[in-house]
Amino acid sequence: MKSSIEKLIREKQVREAEVKTRRHFIKSCAQGMGGLALSSIFMGCDPLRKPAPQNTMAFSERDLNPLSTLAPPYGPKVKSVIYLHMAGAPSQLEMFDYKPQLHKYHGQDCPQSLLEGKKFAFIKGTPKLMGPQAEFKQEGESGNWVSNFLPHFKKVVDEVAFLKAVHTDQFNHGPAQLFMHTGSPRLGRPSIGAWATYGLGSVNQNLPGFVVLTSGGNAPDAGKSVWGSGFLPSVYQGVQCRSQGDPVLYIEDPKGMSRDLKGRTIEAINAINKKEYTKYADPEILARINQYEMAYRMQIAVPEVMNINNEPEHIKQMYGVAPGKESFANNCLLARKLVEDGVRFVQLFDWGWDTHGNVRSGSIDLGLRNKCREIDRPMTALILDLKQRGLLDDTLIIWGGEFGRTPMQENRGNKKMAYKGRDHHGDAFTMWMAGGGIKKGASHGKTDDIGFSGIEGRVSVHDVHATVLHLLGFDHEQFTYEFQGRHFRLTDVEGEIIHEILA
Amino acid sequence: MDILLQLIGRLHPLIVHLPIGFILLGILLQFYDRKQGEFKRVVSLIYLWGALSATLACITGYLLYSGEGFSFDSVKWHLWSGMATAVFAFLMFDNLREKTLLKALNKIPVLWMSLLFLLLISFTGHLGGNLTHGSEYLVEPLPNSVKSRLGFPVFEKKPIVLNAENWRDTPFYEGVIAPILNNKCVSCHGPKQAKGGLSLHTKEAILKGGENGAVIVTDTPDKSELYARLILPEEDEEHMPPKDKTPMEKAEIELIASWIAQGNPFEGTLGDFGLDRELFLSFFPKKVVLDHPDLEIPKAEKDSITAIEAHNIHVDVLSGDTHFLSVSCINKPNFADADFEILRPISQQIAVLDLGGTQITDAVLDKLAALPNLTVLKLDNTDITGATIAKLTALEHLRDLNLTYTPFQEKYVSLFPEFPNLNKVYLYRTNTTAQGLVPLAEGRITLDYGQYELPPIPSDSIVY
Repeated sequence: MKSSIEKLIREKQVREAEVKTRRHFIKSCAQGMGGLALSSIFMGCDPLRKPAPQNTMAFSERDLNPLSTLAPPYGPKVKSVIYLHMAGAPSQLEMFDYKPQLHKYHGQDCPQSLLEGKKFAFIKGTPKLMGPQAEFKQEGESGNWVSNFLPHFKKVVDEVAFLKAVHTDQFNHGPAQLFMHTGSPRLGRPSIGAWATYGLGSVNQNLPGFVVLTSGGNAPDAGKSVWGSGFLPSVYQGVQCRSQGDPVLYIEDPKGMSRDLKGRTIEAINAINKKEYTKYADPEILARINQYEMAYRMQIAVPEVMNINNEPEHIKQMYGVAPGKESFANNCLLARKLVEDGVRFVQLFDWGWDTHGNVRSGSIDLGLRNKCREIDRPMTALILDLKQRGLLDDTLIIWGGEFGRTPMQENRGNKKMAYKGRDHHGDAFTMWMAGGGIKKGASHGKTDDIGFSGIEGRVSVHDVHATVLHLLGFDHEQFTYEFQGRHFRLTDVEGEIIHEILA
Repeated sequence: MDILLQLIGRLHPLIVHLPIGFILLGILLQFYDRKQGEFKRVVSLIYLWGALSATLACITGYLLYSGEGFSFDSVKWHLWSGMATAVFAFLMFDNLREKTLLKALNKIPVLWMSLLFLLLISFTGHLGGNLTHGSEYLVEPLPNSVKSRLGFPVFEKKPIVLNAENWRDTPFYEGVIAPILNNKCVSCHGPKQAKGGLSLHTKEAILKGGENGAVIVTDTPDKSELYARLILPEEDEEHMPPKDKTPMEKAEIELIASWIAQGNPFEGTLGDFGLDRELFLSFFPKKVVLDHPDLEIPKAEKDSITAIEAHNIHVDVLSGDTHFLSVSCINKPNFADADFEILRPISQQIAVLDLGGTQITDAVLDKLAALPNLTVLKLDNTDITGATIAKLTALEHLRDLNLTYTPFQEKYVSLFPEFPNLNKVYLYRTNTTAQGLVPLAEGRITLDYGQYELPPIPSDSIVY
């Protein structure tokens, strides 16, 4: 007890010292150096890139409300995005990428030529090839392949466009997830949802612009950075909502605190914060002001939108929801509700796709099938439900993992595993997109006979990002943020729009 | 000998600058000297040099013309005016000498003659420049608006017009091959210039080939220069089009190959040759579906937008390249019919209007008809029954109509074909009975009744 108080006092002293020196400096140089520094801060951080304010520090609309909407530079095809991320990496070879030849080579040693110079997370020595563990059929008018692990999904196969030869250069979950969501395998970059909210804002004033929902029992391996705001102002980070219990922690007012009193408290805090901002012009203060206000409004709006109990029974059945529990189905239904209410970016993470074959739940023929069952109905229902509400044309749905899985059976420690499994594989994996601006029933890219590498239409993670930004109305090469002296892009210096899957 | 003549011909662009320099110098000096008349002899001498070098330019010019495959029509004015310049230079020389041969010329004021001379040399030089750089060299950097005002074509490309419905009826040569050759080859191999003796703008010219013979070996693209050069590595000197020109698209190269493989026909349509649709996919127009009419409209007043937003109605510019607006009442669920008046100042700019979940009634549709550019209209989760839906037939751009979760009645569905541009109507959870997608008005309109179902299947409950 004593030590923690001492710790607090020490922290207070440190903070005070920090503030005092800065305060002193800025005060004494308010008209000179301070003004110069502030103007550079403004130029760097103001997303609208207005000229720096000279003597008066007027608030722009975006300063006061960082989530106010901005027009995309080019005609957008979609207004919202729902990103379904299967954390752990689903096996494309059991779901969408049918490789009959792999059956023929089942049990044979993987050719050395394929293994040379390649890195695998666990595979050692010479692994054996493993044929598809699912049965495939061509479905719909498009004739695209879907396995029997996804019996519902085949009904919407003509709505989606497949990318069969996506590749990544990361072979471990954390970096690969970061790469998939921020465009860089290292920490510190804004996530794609943060970019979208930063660039477009959000229509609904009572809900966050970027909502994150997780299922499968664990958060993604890369942690919250996969929905972080990186160097963008923190107001653009994803807001994680829970589908079990209170959607947002501490959303209820404590006993004895009336809503009115809460409102006036926030007003007073924000008045002080605005004064602070006029002094220091730190955009983080504005973000804080806005977050207080939004939190106050969210207390009413979020429990409402996050409540799936009021949905009609046939909708609940269609998604296969489990009210009160944390499930992918609940999250899909919530994603529809959020998009319906104008949320810009909804990010779903479903954990548990890492099918190495070391445990039963992580086996290609058993555990994977359970995971497929868990997502099959909900993601199909999501597409159909958005469609019948006229929302699918305004929404982009993206499905995929952080990488794919090897055509070889995993032989961890050069031993036979307890169950059938596949190792991490970034050379070729499948993703799909559906919704506005997407060519229905398209399939782009082709892998070789065993599904090891893409031989046609290979696309990179940057290409996927460029395409998503294109659909939102951005040129990914022009959409930048200046940080530490240079302009940053989601797609770094790469990325080409995948026109083959665009309508 | 031929090589030598060609080489001398190629010195023409160098040599032409000598007469230009001499003659301009002479004219300037003559003007400077117009009062005193002190330099008359010097000027005369300069004109002599000008005349001699102009003659040399004429000779090299003629060699260039005959050695490089220019057509006479394209060079004739340059040729005649160049020769006229040379002759005129001799005349000026003679005119300024003390003992003139042609006395008659002395009667014309010297300054007039100089002025004429200046015009002549400028005209000749300009024509020569046109030949080397193309007649649009000086016009090209100008903005399109200025170009068209000056009467220059904005771009001379022949478009390849194909579409998914009737591509089979397009003539193979006229509709596809000729435009490709025109857009990518004819600037160097055409009526103005025929490099390597080859021009590709007419059937006869194509069949004639170039200085090394025919460029097409019928039925065998690989042996035909016309195709083989297209697929050489880009670094190869023989590769066509040359490095600094617009390269051919992959699809265009494939079409040239299949045209030769089909016996390079100049008659017949694409359908006649049973060509694969895949070959033409990249030429089909990309359907750009915009949420607004393809019109230029004035920008909405900033003040009127601010005033509307003060009512908690959300107004957004659709995108940076248009002034059309999207209006949403998502933050104003109590929006009622009377509130429509708030939107009047921007009635021309509204292209997307979301009144979903508001208090509006059938009466509002009458007012909505006053939004001339409305393209997407969302009336979901309201009390719209459809009784006044006919009012919206006045909206000539209305494309998407969302009526989900309204008491919209079945009997009004028959009015939709009267909507001029309607494409999609969402009718999920209305007073209607159908299910799924139903085409209307010969497929122009799709009604989406929704009610999609995912009936339970045994595997739903199998846990592995």
